[in-house]
Amino acid sequence: MGYDLHFGWTGTIGRVILGATRAEGGTRKTSYCIGGGTTLPFLEPDPLSKAPLVALEICDDSEFWSPIIRNYCGDLVNNVGAWANTAETVYGADLVRLYLTSTRLRNFSDIASIGKTIESVLRSTALPLIIEGSNEPRIDSEVFQMCGETAQGERILLGTAEADRYRSIAAAALAYNHSLIAQSPIDVNLAKQLNILVREIGVQRDHIVIDPYTGALGYGFEYSYSAMERIRFSALKGDADLSMPMISSAIDSLAIKEVREAEPSLQDDMAVRWEFYTGLAAAVAGAEIICVRHPKTVAMLKNAFDSMRNGAGFQGVKQDGTQGA
Amino acid sequence: MTDVETAIKNGEAHLKTMISTIKHSVSYDETAYHLPISFALTGIAVHDQQTAREVFEKTGSNTLVALECILAEKTAAEGRLSSPFTGFIDDTVIRKLGYSLVDSSILGLALVLGKPPGPDSASAICRELQEKYMLTFLAGDVVTSLSGAGVKLGLEYRLVPLGPTPSYGIHFVDIIARVAMMFGGVTPGDIQRLLTYAKERAKAIVIVYPGLTDEEIAFVDGMRVLGFPILSLGDYQGSTWISTTPDTVVRRGMDEKGIRVHVTAIPIPMGCSPAFEGKSIRKEEMYVEFGGGRSPAFELLQMGPADEVQDGQVTVIGPEIDAMEEGRAYPLAIMVKVAGKMMKKDYEPILERRIHNFVNYGEGSWHVAQRDIIWVRISKEVVAKGVKIEHLGKLLAGKFRMDFPQLLDAVSVTLITDEAQVLEAKKEAEHVYEERDARIKDMRDSEVSTYYSCTLCQTFAPNHVCIITPERPALCGAISWLDGKIAYEISPSGANQPVEKGRVINALNGEFEGVNKFVKKASHGEIDRCSLYSVMEYPMTCCGCFECIALMLPEVNGIMIVHREFKGITPSGMTFSTLAGTIGGGAQTPGFAGISKNYILSDRFLQGEGGIERLVWMPSALKEELRTRLSKKLTDQDKPDLFEKIADETVATTIEDLIGYLDRVKHPALAMKPLV
Repeated sequence: MGYDLHFGWTGTIGRVILGATRAEGGTRKTSYCIGGGTTLPFLEPDPLSKAPLVALEICDDSEFWSPIIRNYCGDLVNNVGAWANTAETVYGADLVRLYLTSTRLRNFSDIASIGKTIESVLRSTALPLIIEGSNEPRIDSEVFQMCGETAQGERILLGTAEADRYRSIAAAALAYNHSLIAQSPIDVNLAKQLNILVREIGVQRDHIVIDPYTGALGYGFEYSYSAMERIRFSALKGDADLSMPMISSAIDSLAIKEVREAEPSLQDDMAVRWEFYTGLAAAVAGAEIICVRHPKTVAMLKNAFDSMRNGAGFQGVKQDGTQGA
Repeated sequence: MTDVETAIKNGEAHLKTMISTIKHSVSYDETAYHLPISFALTGIAVHDQQTAREVFEKTGSNTLVALECILAEKTAAEGRLSSPFTGFIDDTVIRKLGYSLVDSSILGLALVLGKPPGPDSASAICRELQEKYMLTFLAGDVVTSLSGAGVKLGLEYRLVPLGPTPSYGIHFVDIIARVAMMFGGVTPGDIQRLLTYAKERAKAIVIVYPGLTDEEIAFVDGMRVLGFPILSLGDYQGSTWISTTPDTVVRRGMDEKGIRVHVTAIPIPMGCSPAFEGKSIRKEEMYVEFGGGRSPAFELLQMGPADEVQDGQVTVIGPEIDAMEEGRAYPLAIMVKVAGKMMKKDYEPILERRIHNFVNYGEGSWHVAQRDIIWVRISKEVVAKGVKIEHLGKLLAGKFRMDFPQLLDAVSVTLITDEAQVLEAKKEAEHVYEERDARIKDMRDSEVSTYYSCTLCQTFAPNHVCIITPERPALCGAISWLDGKIAYEISPSGANQPVEKGRVINALNGEFEGVNKFVKKASHGEIDRCSLYSVMEYPMTCCGCFECIALMLPEVNGIMIVHREFKGITPSGMTFSTLAGTIGGGAQTPGFAGISKNYILSDRFLQGEGGIERLVWMPSALKEELRTRLSKKLTDQDKPDLFEKIADETVATTIEDLIGYLDRVKHPALAMKPLV
């Protein structure tokens, strides 16, 4: 080809393992190892490099969820176990990301109910899980303790640590051997600082996934893209404190004006497109887990990732290992 | 009195004999760490007499190992202890406990041993430990003493009764050994890492009442190697144990290990948030006011010795607000005392400036200026809600602890409203101000070798780097050199990093080799050179937060300044916002610089361009704000008429008007060396 696809970079994106099979001490049907990249996404010369993973986001109290998803999924949103199962068996997601939205009720205190929810999701799907704990510092300690303990052995990804709020999540990751999402507000320096803080508390680099925060396409996404790109560059140049894989969830996609005000008959379509293009762009910027909420976006993204890796535009390598066109 | 050294010798000898008498299996249930202390120290899983002896010898006859083995044999033989005692604690509980330590819902661990003189002594200490978020373990007579006094025991009360004799205190050590292995990444047998973890990460203290046997004393002394302070409450002498009293023991222990309680809420009957910072309290909304030229008032923050500053203490001397008449001005002294291991005298003025922000955080309290020219108002609205003078003190004590958790261990506030006493204290304060001024006068850029960077704004100006020097605060005006230094000390991986200034390249422009090198790296290779004192050549980059913009006006051979609040047009033909759009975003724009208001008062301001005489125009509001300080400075520099020669929008809004005005007043800039 004549191009050095490494541009002189020597660094490697760190690896993080998500999920644990029975052989690994958990109950998942598979576990993923993300990271390991040595150049920009979709340029990896390594035939074994993997496509980004697609996670479907679900929640345990749909009051706090987009009406678009409530309409599309119907009653399913009121049964978190069935929802998780459908994500795996019907929608074809790689991961399920469970938001414990029930904790957002004012004065929430029924910590035991969270344990039951997590158990039910673990029973209903065999996919590796991402679990989003509380949004409320007051109950963080108890909520993350419960998440960590209930999912012990499953190597879940716990979210979301922020600069002023990471201790409980880090503690749960440490105590029960899970990984965590470290989120900073679209800033490469803050991302690095948070990674250092989390590491100082004892969490190893291979248990951290960076969330640089993602705005929806047209609503600040370019900042996220730039931050992700810079994080990837820093990692490839050898900055160990930024060399973790990234996750992206453009949750605002379902709430932007174009989607909200779309004609009812077009609303689903608009929502899916917005999620799809934002997710696709995030993957191109380097995110390795793309989270979406609309079930229809899952297959579209997976198809797109496949065709990008095997398509004709880049002389890449097909999934069966033979040279592409 | 028990002589500790003798007791240790006897105890060690006795433990040695006892370990050789172990006959049966030694083990604990519900743990993956065997006998945790022995396992952590040596990596050997002790299960019988042979392995027990092996570990004992390998660790140089360690008393902790000896007691662990002896007690494990006893536990294996006799079964679990009966209620309320926990005995050995399972791994699952330890995991939860470690969790609470990591996430700071528990700040540290305490072990209380021995026989308290009466029921009240121990319950007071335990209550204090509970209040300070410590998890306390109890062993020996202290347990019966507490339950006798009606104190509730159990993990949920953060008071854990380990066993009926002080020997059971050994479980305290096996808990820490397991936490180190579970959370601290300590591999069994890596004794160095274990010790480092115990010393630096485990926040543990030991409180010893009288009544320990020789073996127990030897065991307690054995914990010193883990870096736990041994705090004795009488009856022990001739040792390195810390002798203390029931009233001070908790505080002393927490100080020794640097354990700090974080303040999370301030108990005052009004809101307190930066959201209120910008509000003002107009005369008709005000209940009372202090200072502002209407009554004597001042503020002073000083550090004090740790044992003299009682954290959270607020004292009001003189009439409270309910004895004050609405609408009037009263005298006020705000005197803050702080203590902290990392606190330095140099930080006093920086912290003192925060009084301004903090008082303004109050929903109904308002503050302007500083030192003995402060002006404070309290609104009718919050006085009706029950706010008193005392609450200003609570607000200050709380906010200082909240915002400087690493720096400050204790903050107390005294508020004086009695006129005679305010005047008396003010004299003292004025001495302090003078001393500080003398010290700050010495704080020259040339006298420090390290400046500080600020890259907070790289969020939106990715290549912008502020270099903060003693004489040039950050362009936002919010961070001084000392702030940068403190920020770095508190958070070494944060946005403020030390910058070694290195070799001088151009003294007049303030260009340094080390600064250039730092800026090059921190700007991701974009900026090669940065002169700290010049607007014209390689000026510092601008983010977007500058308080003011200084820019060259070639027509008058001078520099003008416009501040953010000024909405009108300036003689440059542009408004602040147009100018800001032109120079921001991390660019270096010769002829323009983003600066803070205070930098205008610095001797380094415009040094590269020939000094303050270059200043030809600034908005009248800014002129008013700086009037006292700037005109004093100019008078001191023997340029008493320069201040009035600086034009503002009342005399010139166009460049033509400005030329005319400067000519009329014979502004010195006109005769200076051409700028371009």
